[in-house]
Amino acid sequence: MNSMKIKKIISKHETVLLVAILLIGGIIGIFNRAFLSLATAFEILRGSVPYALMGLGVLPVLLLGEVDISFVGIAAVTSLVSHTLLRSWGYAGGLSAYVGLAIPMGAVLAVIVGLISGYVKLPVFAVSLGFWLMLYGFNLFFISPEMRFDLPSGLVGFYGEFLFRIRDPVVGETGLHIGVIYVLLCAVLIWAFLRYTVYGRGFYIAGGNREVALRTGYNIITLLCVAMAINGSLAAFAGVLQCAYKRFFDPILFRGTELFVIAANVIGGVSITGGRGSVISVLLGVIFIQLVTRGLIYLGVAPTWQQLTVGIMLTVFFVITGLRGKVYHELIRKLAMGRKGQSQNEKTR
Amino acid sequence: MEPFLRLENISKRFGGVVALDGVSLAISQGEILGLVGENGSGKSTLIKILSGVYTPDQGNIWIDDRCYKFLTPSQAIKEGISVIYQDFALCPNLTVAENIAIARLVFSNRKIVNWQDMYRIAAKSLFLLTDHIPLDVEVGTLSTADRQIVAIARALLENARLIVMDEPTTALTEKEITTLFSLLKKLRDQGITIIFVSHKLQEVKQLCDHIVVLRDGRKTFDGSALEVDVPTLQLYMTGRVIETLTTNQAEASTSQPSLLKVVDLSLPPYFYDISFELKRGEVIGITGLLGSGRRELALTLVGIMRPRSGAMYIEGTRKKIQNIWQAWQNGIAYVPEDRITEGLHLPCSITANVILPGVAGGFIRRKFFRYSQYKNIGEEWRSKLNIKAPTAETPVKNLSGGNQQRVVLAKCLATQPKIIVMNCPTMGIDVSSKAEIHRMIRSLSAQGLGIVLITDDIPELLQTCDKIIVLKKGRIAYETTPKLVTEEKLYEVLLQE
Repeated sequence: MNSMKIKKIISKHETVLLVAILLIGGIIGIFNRAFLSLATAFEILRGSVPYALMGLGVLPVLLLGEVDISFVGIAAVTSLVSHTLLRSWGYAGGLSAYVGLAIPMGAVLAVIVGLISGYVKLPVFAVSLGFWLMLYGFNLFFISPEMRFDLPSGLVGFYGEFLFRIRDPVVGETGLHIGVIYVLLCAVLIWAFLRYTVYGRGFYIAGGNREVALRTGYNIITLLCVAMAINGSLAAFAGVLQCAYKRFFDPILFRGTELFVIAANVIGGVSITGGRGSVISVLLGVIFIQLVTRGLIYLGVAPTWQQLTVGIMLTVFFVITGLRGKVYHELIRKLAMGRKGQSQNEKTR
Repeated sequence: MEPFLRLENISKRFGGVVALDGVSLAISQGEILGLVGENGSGKSTLIKILSGVYTPDQGNIWIDDRCYKFLTPSQAIKEGISVIYQDFALCPNLTVAENIAIARLVFSNRKIVNWQDMYRIAAKSLFLLTDHIPLDVEVGTLSTADRQIVAIARALLENARLIVMDEPTTALTEKEITTLFSLLKKLRDQGITIIFVSHKLQEVKQLCDHIVVLRDGRKTFDGSALEVDVPTLQLYMTGRVIETLTTNQAEASTSQPSLLKVVDLSLPPYFYDISFELKRGEVIGITGLLGSGRRELALTLVGIMRPRSGAMYIEGTRKKIQNIWQAWQNGIAYVPEDRITEGLHLPCSITANVILPGVAGGFIRRKFFRYSQYKNIGEEWRSKLNIKAPTAETPVKNLSGGNQQRVVLAKCLATQPKIIVMNCPTMGIDVSSKAEIHRMIRSLSAQGLGIVLITDDIPELLQTCDKIIVLKKGRIAYETTPKLVTEEKLYEVLLQE
């Protein structure tokens, strides 16, 4: 019984990914010793924070079998709009007012996408394509075509708000950023919601078989709107955090990274057709992508080559995980055939 | 016994079409009712009225002593009516336990999922039925038969008093059907009423206590299963006597030239050392349980799968068939197992379907394709095969199952084949269409074609084939001719370990 459990854990996608992360980290470490340090780990974690938040947000949408890309636009609009409003009101405080303003805005915008897609019976992807363009266009035209560097005094020091500090021989003083706690908090909340509430199971049911969800009494449009509300809120949160890290507000924030977020989900084992995926998949997927991109810098790969290299690595990873099941079964079959002879192989199929 | 469900004078029309015309029936608690009828006889309408999907135009539904004009889906569930449709309505991505128990959690208004509770609830229901399905595997990995059991377990958890099963045996093997039947009988003995909807009369006769036959929306028979035999049921169902083909199997086929000769064909792990010879005008029937390799053998003969070793001779010359185009060019056509997904383009017209192999296979050599030129081809096949449709431009999805199967046949015949490989051509179609397809098979063979017929249906084998081959675990286990064997003997060969 116990060995069954161990086998199950080993064969899980998440375990394979964790091993891959450790392996890649180790290999990069062999070529560049500086890579294997707490400072690097903290840096990767801090860099992962906004992407992890967006990844967690889009998870319920993907579980329903829908694909959304408007969340990056939502992050850009909500962060820039709340910044403009707060500055015009003379706000000088920290993150809390930004978050308090951006999150409801993000939720409302995303729910609009959900409602349109639900009532007009369109795929979320189609509606979100329109919103993606529209939101960035709105930012550039109505709010500000330029980056805004006028941070309130309370927000200036945010990028250095560490939980604890360490001294590193290469980068000097650094630490574990407080944003990691926000991610963990969101992750635990979403995990509990998806796993331990009857409503949360609805996302998996509707992703597996829409008919069953209807029959059981779930309202598909409500499910979609709840998923989009989570998506929009977390995207808005991620937008504000990212701007605070970078110390400027950007009208085209995150533009082009939506596919990285979705790729991170898919690498983690979230099914693009719905019904499969967990919070842990998302977190591991995001860390994997961050590790690969940052690792390339440490290996001295020129920035011009980075996208190509990351693309190749992703493709190879997908091919390997795709083949894994097949190769594994083939191996088992061959072993069994060698032992028992051909006549038995019907049973091993 | 007291009838617990009574339908009184139920009528339902859709536009101008009368689907049900004054049907009354009474079902007592703890009996198995066989609901029989051809496609379009009103069976499905009746089920949907019971489950609350449709509202009847007329009539009353009595449950115990409550009278309803119509049921809503939630009322139906509350009254303990549970319908198991052919696709079982399960989530393939969730575990067996969650599939069984989640509806219970939702209906009991719980907010929080207690997984231990979930497993306990599911186990209690599932272990009433079987003990070989583990609770923690994903439903998508189960066999069809096991998924059906999971669906029944879920229905029991919804406190079902009446379980309606819509064509439950279509995708099951003989052995699984036997298991299902003993399960249903066990449920009946526990006081659960079952409506078994089917058009397989043998099965209905074997299982049910009480049989109701519908034809064109009217009830034509209602009585105990003991007082009626299969030919009479067939008469009630179709309104006419269907003569079964018994003779005219080609006597002198031994002297005919060979069309297809297969020598030691092997494709591990599906089949090994298959040899047979198909002559002009001959029908060879191949049967076996699911997983016996019969499907893979058919796919290999038509070039979709490739053999590991062995040889195929077509009219005496050795040929390698690597893909379906080469099969067409060598005069081999294929009637696939599932006409909906493999055989037809449902939204397209009859003509478009019929000329497709010609266009794709390069039989029609034109640089530019003009549809209007091919209209008469569709018309020709429509009248030749007696396809019931207003014109050849009718989309195939509007046709009944039997007529769709004729379109598949027309599509094959349009490539002018010498050999046709048919994989379960009569699965899921009604009795009279089936008889017509049998007649067609015989008339094609009389024209000199060779046919390889793969089927589950033992009577079909005996009626239409000249030679019968039984596959077991990928090997030829038994070879005979219909004259030398009985139905019982074939079942025995098929099922013995």
